[in-house]
Amino acid sequence: MDLQQFLPLSLDRINVWIGVLCTLAIYSLLYRENPLYRFFEHMYIGLAAGYSLGPLGVDILYRYWITPIWVQGQWAWAFLVPFGMYLYFIYSERYGWVSRLVIGALVGTSAGLFFQEFASRYVVQLHSTLSRPLWMSSANPEADLFGVITNWVFIIILVSVLVYFTFSYPQKGVVKNVATAGRWFLMIGLGAIFGNTVMARMALLIGRIYYLLSDWLMIRI
Amino acid sequence: MWQIQNPNTPTGQLILWMIVLGAFIMIMGLVPLLHALPPRGRRAIIVIITFITGLFFAIEFFLPINKEQKNFLTDAIQPAQQAVQVITALALALGTYGLVRLHLRNVVQQRAQWGYSLVLLISFVMMATFSITNTLSEQGLVEKTPLLEQGFKLLFDYTLVQLDAAMFSLIAFYIFSAAYRAFRIRSVEAGILMFTAIVVMIGVVPLGATISPYLPGVANWILTSLNAPVQRAIEFGVGIGGLAMAIRLWLSLERGVT
Amino acid sequence: MQTRGPSIWERMLSIDRRILYLLLFANIVLFLLLPIRMRAAVSPPVQKFYDEIEKLQPGDLVMISSNWSASTLAENQPQLEAVIRHLMRKKAKFTLISVEAQSRDISYRLASRLTPEGGYEYGRDWAHFGFVTNLIVSIKGMVNNLPDTIKKDVRGTPVSELPLLKGITSLRQYKMIIDVTPSATVPFWISYAPKETKILYCPTSVMAAEAYTFLDSGQIKGMITGAKGAQEYEQLLGIVGLGTRFVNAISFSHVLIILFIFLGNLALFMNRRQMRQEG
Repeated sequence: MDLQQFLPLSLDRINVWIGVLCTLAIYSLLYRENPLYRFFEHMYIGLAAGYSLGPLGVDILYRYWITPIWVQGQWAWAFLVPFGMYLYFIYSERYGWVSRLVIGALVGTSAGLFFQEFASRYVVQLHSTLSRPLWMSSANPEADLFGVITNWVFIIILVSVLVYFTFSYPQKGVVKNVATAGRWFLMIGLGAIFGNTVMARMALLIGRIYYLLSDWLMIRI
Repeated sequence: MWQIQNPNTPTGQLILWMIVLGAFIMIMGLVPLLHALPPRGRRAIIVIITFITGLFFAIEFFLPINKEQKNFLTDAIQPAQQAVQVITALALALGTYGLVRLHLRNVVQQRAQWGYSLVLLISFVMMATFSITNTLSEQGLVEKTPLLEQGFKLLFDYTLVQLDAAMFSLIAFYIFSAAYRAFRIRSVEAGILMFTAIVVMIGVVPLGATISPYLPGVANWILTSLNAPVQRAIEFGVGIGGLAMAIRLWLSLERGVT
Repeated sequence: MQTRGPSIWERMLSIDRRILYLLLFANIVLFLLLPIRMRAAVSPPVQKFYDEIEKLQPGDLVMISSNWSASTLAENQPQLEAVIRHLMRKKAKFTLISVEAQSRDISYRLASRLTPEGGYEYGRDWAHFGFVTNLIVSIKGMVNNLPDTIKKDVRGTPVSELPLLKGITSLRQYKMIIDVTPSATVPFWISYAPKETKILYCPTSVMAAEAYTFLDSGQIKGMITGAKGAQEYEQLLGIVGLGTRFVNAISFSHVLIILFIFLGNLALFMNRRQMRQEG
């Protein structure tokens, strides 16, 4: 490693050293809570909050409100932002309820849109479940024995997990046994999620360490 | 009617400014009038707004479509989406406003550890300035100076990105520590969870293929044939619950929301 | 009465967590530096992902929804880099859109860095639609009238004036949507995008397990799971990217965590047995 290239003697290298300082300051929390970590933590929150104003202000407000009014002359949009500003009355003790007008509009929008989501997302999955071949026949020549067995396993697991989650009636007898099996199958899904979660978090740490080794210490990996 | 002629002339701009100002005054002036309504009246307005906004999107979806895949409401989607974008942006900015308000109060009243709040506010102002200016410069509305470019690069690429990545990478340490200290295989369920996790963790990475050529296939079979129906069952539960909740919210039957 | 010191099992159970952190750190450093390159067994979802992009013809239009921030850089960056390289190889044109504020600049800067490698020019071969706050209404708007919904790209050019989008009025004219995301945005594409447009998914590993139901129903045609999926994809493309560089350390960090889970359980079991024997 060339010491001249390693040291923060150029603008690019200074930037890298700053990035490393940020990373190591955050990692200092692992030793114990300390003022350096708190300093960079607050800096991070300030930077993140400040950054969001750029895209919000330009990509949204400038594109969808300022330009239509002041460039295209569509004056009716003038009423939109004042209405949206009703949200900020949430900080007022007296007029706080006014914010619910806007919240109601957003909630109504989401609720109205859900019908399409239900049809496109869940009904399709229901169709996919119900159209799985459960025996071999000339009507389904591509269904082989292994596929049919897998389909039965799929249906059994699906039904037992659904039974486990049904609390509208007391789970006794056969239903209780099916629900117990459903709980065991549920553990398979949760195990898969746990394994993937571990993988994701490890990858994030590996990415940081890679940055320290590759960009800062200039080790070729 | 919904567009003024020649908006880019001085007269046109003046008219638009007056309309915007007038809109602000009118809408804000409505607040005391709305407040004068009895509580039942206020709730009625909220319920009506919630219902109408939901009704528009619901009807637009349910109405039959013509050969162009449209019905008479489809073209109204575009201005509706524009309105939702702007209102959502204001809602997102509400969080930022709350944060700044809290820390500004800490600094002004010199509460405990107000120094950190000052750091936050300084970072906020610097980043907001550079972010807005940089975004405007990308659109050619502001000149992109070397100071702007370097400043944004430093604040975004080498500070914010690094801090963000470092913060979230801390979780890996905690997962490792928690797995060692707290993951106890005391029941059949915990055993099944652990076994599946181990097979998935080793089977999906190249190490699994190196240990045994069958391991990736087993891991994939677990994920597609055992995990998928479990996730689908959860999806169905969430879907039915979501539909019920959507209807309740749309009809304002849910207390404490609107 | 003589009190004995802590047994090895008690010491194992009360080990300082900072030692654990150091072990994990050292493990990752070691396996990042070790020049081992294990070949992956390409999983079927990644193979399907690759095959779908291979079917693209030159000039086909693809929408990339990039919704990740720096918090998931290590998982989503390798995915997006590999996807862009593959699209360039197929001479497919693409547009990017972000529903996460940071991703707007991250994906724009990443694409600006990579596209010259494939001789791609902004506006002619690729474009970025910027940041939108609400993905659902954006998708619905783009299906109905794309130029009027997006209006301008990140450079302030009206979308209808971009050579790339000449004659494009709807999302229906896109061949494919690729969602690179750490959050649950793919259900929105599934629910509101045109049925004829194929959807491919690049989640972080956390979101992947839930997506197998969409793969099974055919609502998504392929999936790259996190950094290890990116490595498999890079292997198919014949390139060495970040995914390939990370996956070694990923493999052995999993071994370490599994080992320590067993050690923790063993220590608890042995400690309890010892305490029962001591009465």
